[in-house]
Amino acid sequence: MAPPNNQKRVKGTQVYRPFVYGTIAKPFNDDTNPKPPGTPADHTHSWTVFVKGVDDGDITYWCKKVQFKLHESIPNPLRMIDDIPPGGTFEVHETGWGEFEITIKLYYVPESLEKPQTLYHHLRLHPYGETEEEKEKMKQRGEVPAVVYEEQLFNEPYENFYEILTNPAPAGKGGKTKVLKGGMVSSVGERTALIPLTNRPGSEFSLETENLLLVDIKRAATEVMRMIEETKREIVEKEAELATYKGAIQT
Amino acid sequence: MSSHDVRDMLDLPGDAPRPTKKQKIAAPRPVLKGLAREVQNLSGDNPIAIVPEVTVFKKRRFATRKPAAKWELKPFKNSARNGDSLVLRHWRRKTEAPPAPVLENGNGEPSEPQPALEPEDSTFAKYNVRVQTPKYDEEQYNTKLRNEDWSKDETDYLMDLVQEYDLRWPVIWDRYDYVPPVPQMDVDPSEGAIVPAEKVRTMEALKARYYFVAATMMKVNKPPELMNAAEFSLLELMNHFSPTTEAARKKFAEAAFHRTKEEAREEESLLLELKRILARSERLSQERRELYSRLEAPHSQGNIGVYTSSQGLQQLLQQLMTADKTKKRRSLMGADGMSPAGPGLQQQGSFDRRDGTNRESISGPSGSNNKKGPSQGISERRQLTADEEKMYGVKHLDRITSSGPAFRHEKISKPITSKSSIQQQKIANVLTELRISQRLRMPTEEVGKQFEILLQNINVLLDQRKLADKLTGEINVAKALKAEREKKERAERGEPEPGDEDGEGAAGDGEIKTEDGAREKSAAPSVRAGSVHKRSASVMSGVSDKSTKRQRK
Repeated sequence: MAPPNNQKRVKGTQVYRPFVYGTIAKPFNDDTNPKPPGTPADHTHSWTVFVKGVDDGDITYWCKKVQFKLHESIPNPLRMIDDIPPGGTFEVHETGWGEFEITIKLYYVPESLEKPQTLYHHLRLHPYGETEEEKEKMKQRGEVPAVVYEEQLFNEPYENFYEILTNPAPAGKGGKTKVLKGGMVSSVGERTALIPLTNRPGSEFSLETENLLLVDIKRAATEVMRMIEETKREIVEKEAELATYKGAIQT
Repeated sequence: MSSHDVRDMLDLPGDAPRPTKKQKIAAPRPVLKGLAREVQNLSGDNPIAIVPEVTVFKKRRFATRKPAAKWELKPFKNSARNGDSLVLRHWRRKTEAPPAPVLENGNGEPSEPQPALEPEDSTFAKYNVRVQTPKYDEEQYNTKLRNEDWSKDETDYLMDLVQEYDLRWPVIWDRYDYVPPVPQMDVDPSEGAIVPAEKVRTMEALKARYYFVAATMMKVNKPPELMNAAEFSLLELMNHFSPTTEAARKKFAEAAFHRTKEEAREEESLLLELKRILARSERLSQERRELYSRLEAPHSQGNIGVYTSSQGLQQLLQQLMTADKTKKRRSLMGADGMSPAGPGLQQQGSFDRRDGTNRESISGPSGSNNKKGPSQGISERRQLTADEEKMYGVKHLDRITSSGPAFRHEKISKPITSKSSIQQQKIANVLTELRISQRLRMPTEEVGKQFEILLQNINVLLDQRKLADKLTGEINVAKALKAEREKKERAERGEPEPGDEDGEGAAGDGEIKTEDGAREKSAAPSVRAGSVHKRSASVMSGVSDKSTKRQRK
């Protein structure tokens, strides 16, 4: 669909929206996660792949539907998730035995006049981590989450879409508040780009986490500076050494 | 009978245009009530200045009729008069003792109001405020306040004066007449009284000394960290007192006072001139700004999509023409009423061609767009406040490379992914070394900025490491050359090679071995370093060939 020519982009403006996508896998287990009937015998895990707002925020006002492209061995691998309530989650539940890369395609609301965009996510079934300890910890939890935070940037959105993005939700349409897990209240109708201040169970993406990451990056930056200094010194030393050799050869 | 008739009768001049005007004036004249029309007419042009009197009497005061207040002559004294026992009297309203508590006492004995023991203090005594001068003792003076130019005696004297004249500097300066204590004069009185050279202190010197002492003592009594804002600003003010600038200021003021009339006039005219110049330059820059804003591509006010189709353009032309016609200025149209673009048919053709080239103009129903109107757009869009922009994640960037949706993480990692795979691997190695995961946990804007800085630094580091590797290679070559040369020299001198009968071959092997060692040492030998190694090998073989030849000789 070619964009109708009565629309134009808001120049020099960028609007972003945070969201979360990823997978959560659980090994089958007779007590807590029994195998549903009809599951092939070789399937070892149940897993879910999802796209949702940070802190259960609403994303449906910019993301209309999501297509998950699963492995070809799974029956009808193209799953289109559509028409979810505001504040809901685009998700697919499946069972399986192997890890593979899931292609996630986000379709935007028609007002945006934007083409769908693709994300890739690796389905994790087995505990992973940098160290054995981390792996062990994940094993203890009984589920393997692989969730990432992402920010959707709308560069120079069309005017109509810009209006949608920068206005509160129309009253009477999902403008109610909802009590979340953990006793916190977040209003589903809020169409903001804000992320929560602190972590709470089940949603570890917040300003707190961001700050930790920032501290980490800054530490790394100072370390790199130190390494640069070190290498500089090394270079100076080597140059001196080279000069002495050259001097010796010339004489 | 009007004044006009009277004039007519008296043959007064200048009544020719009068009658018409007269009627006009007469009409709006306010009609005063309570006067006969005839009487009003008598006044002629000038309205009668009779203000009807309103006969309203003052209302009687009812109810709150209290007995007249009693006044008494009361003695008072003024504590500001430094223990003066003078007692004066003034009229004061008599205070009546509240009667209520008396009856409650029960014994019916009216409690006498306490006889005024003390004549009350004057209300103006509170305005007698003394200045707080800094106090210091001998030790503090010696440690903190010592000054070449000022003796302690004189400083004390200054403080006393300041205290006495309440910091009124002109008075203090006027009264300042410090006589240093005369040294014991029992040496030789006959020689005549030794009059110590009188030091004339300027007001600035006095002020500087006082402020220095005051500031120092303030700091001693209360460390600046604990001071409140007012105290601290006072301290700063006193610390920044500069006697020289103060003296200069006074000198300027004095000079300004003494200048002649001509000078004053000239100065005034110069100031005027300056003002004019400034105004002119202001206007000029304003005009220039305007020009620039016009020169810059106008921020299209509305939607031009409407005009991309032939119908739309036709309509625009119509609009412009009507607008042109309504303006009573030189018309866009020619004398024959033709549009400058030529007859309509030709116009249509040209637009059709345009349609062919412009894909966008084909699509989109232009008819429905007309309702929307081109003026909608920016003007209509709601302006967001800074808070709202933050809330809705709106950012205004100077440069957006591509419009449309994108993902932040992709954008952040672009500096990495755009590099060659070797370079990517190197960056990844450094990042793992730094314990930073390549997939950032939360790719927010701030994180992106910091990460970009980090990446830049990493690139610098990688460049340096490359340089270091290259240098290592060069050092190895130089080492090899040196070893070769030494060997040669030894051979020329006929010295036997220490523990080396075969000569060159073994030595060459040795060199190669050390080189291999060096290669292993450098973790990531760059391509260039490798080529250096190769070159060094060839150079070496050349050298060894030569030396073998020489040996054969």
